[in-house]
Amino acid sequence: MAVKDEGAAWSIFGYLLSGLLFWGGAGWLMDHWLKTHFFLLGGLVLGAGAAIYLVWLRFGRE
Amino acid sequence: MKGTLNLVGYGLSAIGPAIATGMIFAAYISGVARQPEARSVLQPIAFLGFALAEALALFGLVLAFVL
Amino acid sequence: MRSLHLLRMEGAGFVPPSTNDFNLPPVFSNNPYTTKPVLLVFLSVIVVSIFFIMASRKAAIVPSRLQFAGEKIYEFVRNDVARDNIGHEFMRFVPYLFTLFTFVLTNNIFGIVPLLQFPAMSHVSFPYVLAIFTFIVFHYVGIRKQGIGKYLKDIMFMPGVPKAAYILLTPLELATFFIVRPLTLSLRLFANMFAGHLLLLVFILGGDHLLKGVIGLKLISPFAFAFGIGLTFFEFMVQCLQAYIFTLLTALYIAGALADEH
Repeated sequence: MAVKDEGAAWSIFGYLLSGLLFWGGAGWLMDHWLKTHFFLLGGLVLGAGAAIYLVWLRFGRE
Repeated sequence: MKGTLNLVGYGLSAIGPAIATGMIFAAYISGVARQPEARSVLQPIAFLGFALAEALALFGLVLAFVL
Repeated sequence: MRSLHLLRMEGAGFVPPSTNDFNLPPVFSNNPYTTKPVLLVFLSVIVVSIFFIMASRKAAIVPSRLQFAGEKIYEFVRNDVARDNIGHEFMRFVPYLFTLFTFVLTNNIFGIVPLLQFPAMSHVSFPYVLAIFTFIVFHYVGIRKQGIGKYLKDIMFMPGVPKAAYILLTPLELATFFIVRPLTLSLRLFANMFAGHLLLLVFILGGDHLLKGVIGLKLISPFAFAFGIGLTFFEFMVQCLQAYIFTLLTALYIAGALADEH
């Protein structure tokens, strides 16, 4: 059965947001702690990658 | 006038993902309208494209607050 | 050149609408809790109750117009929102979904009803409370149906993923289910109502201000008012849509909690 489209779109939005906030937030804290600048960017990329992987697992697989 | 230019930058950077999302769903809708049985094939592709475009918009949103 | 100078002078006097326009003073000055949004929420409860009591009091085979309208709204929530998404157990959740839909819809539409003209949902605390209700309902239903251990395990661990990926994915699943979902549910409703009310304020107050200006500006002000009226109809559409989306997402979350595996 096909997933309901509007619900799926909002749920993708939620995954991406939580991915960026969680891993980006972790990177921001590392930056704050170690006085560096690259952990935030790394965390954001990692979070976006993890969230897209999760979206693929949930909606992209046949 | 008070405020931060970051939000103007975010507004500009949201244009691209907005157009992309519109185009993805336009193509998805017209594809399903022409051939309803192709829905199950098209849906994952459309949602993955949507996720990629939306990730860029959220990047802009997060960076507008952080930087 | 002179008119441009005057334009600048005029522009200096205009106070653009801001968040201060949402902090209304108490209606009864001796009680700080009776602000306009609170009274509107009470009014919406009364309006919804009276409408559906009137609509269902003289239920007949051949429905009156009022009964027909009430039945249409109920049918919409029961069939299109609850039954199509939740499945065979949907009847248990129809009362909650129906209350949610009519309550949010009435409060939203108060934003464009003349004389009332304030959507209570543009104060973020009201959507927060509704989202907390939804949060409790869908987690409670999921835990009751599957048991707390299995429910949490289903949320945290997706099947068919290498073990190492759980370090990345489990925090995301937990954050999505317990923080981001209720937060986005309430903020979406709040932001739409807030932005819509602000948009109408900009056009109506701006048109009013232009009307007080020099003759050239007076000629422009009808366009501002026309835009304001057009946007009012647009707002009506947005308000109905947001009430629908809030109810639909609640139904989808309940359905997700009831399903054995995602």
